[in-house]
Amino acid sequence: MSIVSSIRSLATTLFRRSRMEADMESELSAHIQNRADDLERSGLSREAAKRQARIEFGGYERHKEDCRQSLGVHFIETLLQDVRFGSRTLCKSPGFTLVAVLTLALGIGANTAIFSLIDSVMLRLLPVQKPQELVELLRFNPSRGGEPTAGFTNALWEQLRDDQRIFSSVFAWGSDRFDLSRGGAVHYANGIITSGGFFNALGVRPAAGRLFSTTDDQRGCPSIAVLSYGFWQDHFGGAQNAIGSTLSLNNHPFQIIGAAAPGFYGMEVGNKFDVAIPICATTSFDGKRSRLDERSWWWLRMAGRLQPGTTPEKLKAGLKVLSPQVFGGAVPLDWDSEGQNDFRRRQLVAVPAAVGVSELREQFAQPLTILMIIVGLVLLIASANLASLMFARAAGRNKEIAVRKALGASRARLVRQLLTESLLLSFAGALLGMLFARWGAALLVRYISTTQANVFLDLSLDGRVLGFTAAIAVVTAVLFGVLPALRSTGISLTAAMKGSQAEEGNRHASSRLRSGRWMVASQVAFSLVLLVVAGVFLHSLRKLITLDLGFDRSNVLLVNANVKAAGIPAAESTAIYDEIENRLRSLPGVTSAGRSSRIPISNNEWEQEIEVDTPNPPKGDDAGAYFTFISPGYFQTLRTPLLAGRNFDASDTRTSDQVAIVNETFAHKFFPNMNPVGAFFRIVDGRVGRPARPMHIVGLARDSKYESVRESISSQAFFPASQIPQDDDSEVFELRTGTRPSALASMVQSAVGQVNKGVSLEFESLEEQVDDSLVQDRLLATLSSFFGGLALLLAMVGLYGAISYLVTQRRAEFGLRMALGAPRTDVLRLVMRDVAAIFGSGAVAGVLFSLAGLRVLQKLLFGLSTHDPATLLEAILLLALVAFVAGYLPARRAMRVDPMIALRYE
Amino acid sequence: MTDQAQLLPGTLDLLILKAVSLGPLHGYGVLLRIEQISRGALSIEQGALYPALFRLVRQGLLKANWGTSDNNRRAKFYELTAAGRKRLREEANGWHRLVAAMGSALATEPEEV
Repeated sequence: MSIVSSIRSLATTLFRRSRMEADMESELSAHIQNRADDLERSGLSREAAKRQARIEFGGYERHKEDCRQSLGVHFIETLLQDVRFGSRTLCKSPGFTLVAVLTLALGIGANTAIFSLIDSVMLRLLPVQKPQELVELLRFNPSRGGEPTAGFTNALWEQLRDDQRIFSSVFAWGSDRFDLSRGGAVHYANGIITSGGFFNALGVRPAAGRLFSTTDDQRGCPSIAVLSYGFWQDHFGGAQNAIGSTLSLNNHPFQIIGAAAPGFYGMEVGNKFDVAIPICATTSFDGKRSRLDERSWWWLRMAGRLQPGTTPEKLKAGLKVLSPQVFGGAVPLDWDSEGQNDFRRRQLVAVPAAVGVSELREQFAQPLTILMIIVGLVLLIASANLASLMFARAAGRNKEIAVRKALGASRARLVRQLLTESLLLSFAGALLGMLFARWGAALLVRYISTTQANVFLDLSLDGRVLGFTAAIAVVTAVLFGVLPALRSTGISLTAAMKGSQAEEGNRHASSRLRSGRWMVASQVAFSLVLLVVAGVFLHSLRKLITLDLGFDRSNVLLVNANVKAAGIPAAESTAIYDEIENRLRSLPGVTSAGRSSRIPISNNEWEQEIEVDTPNPPKGDDAGAYFTFISPGYFQTLRTPLLAGRNFDASDTRTSDQVAIVNETFAHKFFPNMNPVGAFFRIVDGRVGRPARPMHIVGLARDSKYESVRESISSQAFFPASQIPQDDDSEVFELRTGTRPSALASMVQSAVGQVNKGVSLEFESLEEQVDDSLVQDRLLATLSSFFGGLALLLAMVGLYGAISYLVTQRRAEFGLRMALGAPRTDVLRLVMRDVAAIFGSGAVAGVLFSLAGLRVLQKLLFGLSTHDPATLLEAILLLALVAFVAGYLPARRAMRVDPMIALRYE
Repeated sequence: MTDQAQLLPGTLDLLILKAVSLGPLHGYGVLLRIEQISRGALSIEQGALYPALFRLVRQGLLKANWGTSDNNRRAKFYELTAAGRKRLREEANGWHRLVAAMGSALATEPEEV
């Protein structure tokens, strides 16, 4: 509708416009007629009178143009005229147009790609009803300080659900993975476990069947599930009869009651849910230890919808009253009294949740911002190159512009015409760039996805991305178009018309040279910054990759085996794990095998407080140690050497002495200047009726990393898997092989199948596991190198162009010098001195910018000093080499100038 | 023609308003009327008249109608609107004040200081 009406209004404008043009023409010509009549009456001949009348009138076309301006109706008209003319001119030089549009498409495309990621990770509102009303609830302990954290127990959620009167609705959800397979290789679906009111509170409608309601989420509820629209389509082809059928989740049947509307992916940005089940339905997964009743199981996130008109103060006051009720009613009864009091002091705080919640956001907010700046600089460098091209083009159009000026075009009108051309180029580049961006952004999302976390982002175009792209297209056009347009329309008419390049040309050329130098120097500076940034990220990544982790990550296959799904009773699980481990060890190609409760460099952590009887032992938070339960084969398989004492062996059983192996950091911290082997420590439990358990240290292992490659090594204690105090649903087998780890997978699957077909398995190599933890560093290193290289190329082209132009301008001078006896090398030296001057000024500025920039990046870098002089030097040398080559080629041409020809040309 | 004065910026509009206030005129007539009432002392580039006329119409100070001129040519006649009349009054007053102030300033003799 709006398109139709805008076309209609355009049509009327154009129609009215042609009448107005005719009126104006007749009015102005009548004036000249009248004047001519009067002059004729005063005695001039008819011809002389007409001529005189025209002269007195002044520039006919110019006045007409001014009249149009006064009428003020022809903005669209002029624009269309300019666009038509601009397109014609651009089509006449396809080479120039192609280069310009491609350069712009790369520059604008890169900016759009990064911005669309920023948009979808950080800025985009959740596609739910009135997302601005949503807040997430976090918990905060005022006596301990620190940042508020997410994560609540079901008891807390039930208190909030039943007690609150601040929100118009509250809801809770947890994330989990559900295994869709029935034993064997796992096939995970992304699950969310939601409170009954989840979909209603968010205003999500069903696409088929129905969604949960509060009555579905009551203890003892049947196992029901809701599918996401995408999962319904992918797995069931969107079939209506899928609703009502059953779906196996972790080997338990769930009845599908409906599918959610398309476009709803859950509360978490970066992840999309496949299957949702109500909180009450988790009892089918949990054994005796149910997450519904376990008051130390922090697995839910909570959010609420504000009542209209709730002020931040009112919300704060309300939460202050609500907090003691919620926490007071959900105290973990097995905690000691100190812990319980601490628990009661906790408070709820609310943070806006209109853009959803996201771990991805915390991880990638800073890298994306840095990448945004990097691509912005690349676009600046590209704009400088384009400006040079526009200058060169404008020089070739001097005559055309002079003619148009002589015919009455005002300078403003000409500048506007030239800027329209720039805008045309820029928008053509932006359109092509958006294609690049869609492809590039999707590629980046795939790049930051890991085996464990498949990143999903909604990258569909929205107004913000389109607006951003249009805005940078305009800014870019202004950047590369304004100076050349002003310069080329500032020519003196007479000189240009005469066609003499002599005086006018020289003035023009020298000013162009000056701005050319200035632009190339800034290109050098920005390129240097990008090279330094790329250099430090590469160095940092290399340090992280080659870092000694305390274990050997190559050629180790990780097999995550889950016996719970197979319905094996907890008491028998250790025996089953032992049997699986023995079978795997004897597989051909497996040199050694071990197993553990967790894998190194994973988020799965187990930390507890340690007590020792040495003088001045560490206390409180300082006394924590990280735990891993391992089988005797673990250290050998990971190649972590034992430095003293013994390894675990078959004699360590559930009933034997409680034993431990500690790492060097543990030994130094708790037993300074002592041999830890043979000593005892106790694990502080913090729960009622659980006295600290004494542990006998039997061995000392070399230090190794626990959670991340970047961490400084912390105290670790290892315990025999046979003495694990609670049932372990899953354990990880480590298999060292001589070949590619993934080649073992099918053999492992059949070997485990012989023990129990119900055990579900998941494969990954230890190397992948470590690599995945460095995805952020790799992203920054890869992309900054790519853009650094691009910047280098652009700067090289820019420098080459500038020096070539300079050489052409000074041809005659060089010819004269040589004719007067200057050796050719003198000419070469002259040109190279210019190159050095441009490079030098650019490099100095670049170094200053880089030093400022590095300080900001410091937090993301690993093991580098703030200055990192080595990287700086490398970048300068690389850039100098490129500048030398880009300058030498035209300089050599200058040296080969034949003096006779050069002088005759002049 | 040598003793013609250049127009001060902004005075062309005022002259046009004045000329048209004496009776509806077509473009060429405005020019002649200005020459007549300024006794030929002010020079206007003829073509520059029209952008000014169009601007005044757009500002609602003049209105234009097509009619027939004395020599039977189709011509556009300009007329003052109410707003134009008011503007002319204001501008003329302003102009008189300026002239009086400038006149007395320039006529000042050393002994009067």
